[in-house]
Amino acid sequence: MSDFLTFALPKGRIMQDSMSLFGKIGITCPEMAESSRKLVFENREDKFRFMAVRAQDVPTYVEYGSADIGVVGKDTLLEQNRDLYEPLDLQFGYCRLVVAEPAELRRDDDPAGWSNIRIATKYPNVTERFFAEKGVQVELIKLYGSIELAPIVGLAERIVDLVSTGATMRENGLVEVETIADVTSRLIVNRASLKTKHRRITKLLEDLEQVIEDGPRISG
Amino acid sequence: MVNSIETRLPTGVKDFLPIKANKLEYLQTRLKDVFYRWGFRLVAPAPLEDLAVLELGLGEDLREKTFRFDDRQSGRLVAFPPDITPQVARIAATRMQELPLPFRLCYNGSVLRHAEQRLGKDRGIHQAGVELIGLDNPEADAEMIAMAIEGLQAVGANDFTIDIGQVEFLRGILDGLELPGPQAQAVRTAIAGKDLSSLQRMLETLPVTDRQKEELLALPRLFGGTETLERAAAAVSNDNSRRALDNLNQVLATLESYGVAEHITIDLGELRGFDYHTGIIFQGFLSGFGQAVCAGGRYDGLTARYGFPAPATGLTFSLLNLLFALDKALDERVAFGSDILLFSEATDMTPAHRLATALRTQGYTVARDINTKDRQESLAYARRMHFRNLLIIHQDATCLTLVNTADEGETSLDMSATLAGDLRL
Repeated sequence: MSDFLTFALPKGRIMQDSMSLFGKIGITCPEMAESSRKLVFENREDKFRFMAVRAQDVPTYVEYGSADIGVVGKDTLLEQNRDLYEPLDLQFGYCRLVVAEPAELRRDDDPAGWSNIRIATKYPNVTERFFAEKGVQVELIKLYGSIELAPIVGLAERIVDLVSTGATMRENGLVEVETIADVTSRLIVNRASLKTKHRRITKLLEDLEQVIEDGPRISG
Repeated sequence: MVNSIETRLPTGVKDFLPIKANKLEYLQTRLKDVFYRWGFRLVAPAPLEDLAVLELGLGEDLREKTFRFDDRQSGRLVAFPPDITPQVARIAATRMQELPLPFRLCYNGSVLRHAEQRLGKDRGIHQAGVELIGLDNPEADAEMIAMAIEGLQAVGANDFTIDIGQVEFLRGILDGLELPGPQAQAVRTAIAGKDLSSLQRMLETLPVTDRQKEELLALPRLFGGTETLERAAAAVSNDNSRRALDNLNQVLATLESYGVAEHITIDLGELRGFDYHTGIIFQGFLSGFGQAVCAGGRYDGLTARYGFPAPATGLTFSLLNLLFALDKALDERVAFGSDILLFSEATDMTPAHRLATALRTQGYTVARDINTKDRQESLAYARRMHFRNLLIIHQDATCLTLVNTADEGETSLDMSATLAGDLRL
């Protein structure tokens, strides 16, 4: 079991991006192309195992050691604040975590004067920490999706959410007020795995650093 | 049947039932044997402390995790210790100061800590460990690490690593930086997470010299086998870090003469315990288990907080992590259950009592089946409750039948021979 290197990857786009990046350094998994219902894929020859999980669960699998390595957005890491190593910025999946509000509210709103605001978000921890540092009290409304709806129906005046192009926000009449963090996908590593499998993991990090540096830089 | 009385436990604390409790006790016993073999003597610190006294020996992190409350007798705040090391430091500093150093002390106990309300985050923590007080040389640090290795081997771990760091190496690099609080904190967070990408980005704008930058950027990758020390020597130029590397090399040399260097890995970017430790630090990891199972290191400043400055180093095993990680392996190592359930078909109970007493004297674990009516019922009970054998006394009280509960294999025995010590299980 434990001579395998196990990856936890979020299902979907990030998984594809991750596998194409890993492919550049010779880490592949032919089994993945065959079946799409499976949750665990193995490359027995090279001793790699890949698990397809929900993005929010990636840090959990890695923190507890069910996976040695994971790929996850910085937004999830900031929100969950886990005990993990985060050695590499993979520089894909670029987006931003922002504070936004309706355009008409923005016209005569002064964020410097905020003292008590209500915010709808998928990221209550990040939001609370961000505003606590500014001395602003927030009333948080945790939602699981379609955050842009909240200001339209009066659930909250403002939101904290991820944007990539900003199109969804614009279509819903929202404008950005402030960026909380730039977000990209990160490679995360379990603490014990980094020590007990240091040879394979060091090699992986060095190889990845090489191909990431060679490739085009998306974020600055 | 569902019991309608609410009996839930607070989260983060556990009851250990038979088998699990046997395994826990096995870990405690084997580790204590190792501590004794190295000449350590047991202390049993008090279960409750005066908060102000306890806090002298606690870092910020543990202070926040301490269970504290009002003492009705004195009106003062008292606390359950979140860690045993400060208690041993207090004992050494105040109760033993007339004795010659060094002190080799060991303990085995449980402490309470506030923890995040998350699965697998315990608040009741079982610790077994040692403190070596009064020695500042590398050989003392090596003793802790060699004992960590021997302890892990003693409880049946075979695939593990002891990961060593040196906080003075880090201080040599970090102390020279003149960064405002939040930026210094951000740099430390990036180093702790081995987040080279963020560290690079941060250092582009921070006021640090090229030399400092080079040293800082090396930290997230200074982990691996013992060859890491060579990379580290090439990466740093400040005196403190160089001295720390010399110290590490001396510790490694001692571990080589103990013949245990194969279990060692190095991590010079490890910030854990940075505020508390003063030299060599280490953590033990089992292959395939995500959390450290033991940890330790040098803490030269601790006993001074109790008025008795002395160099010191220590080692603690996290018994619950070991229990979880080694659960399967312990099935084979830990004998649980009892040898014999004694069932009598005779109406006079005297022979049963005499036989039970004789067998216990011979060293067997024996319980009397006092309440079941027939042999089948008794056998079912014996099997369910982990008795390895059912011993039946027949009507005449001279013939016995021994039934192995696993395979129901039967052996006929004679009462007087068994009383005399003929039984072999």
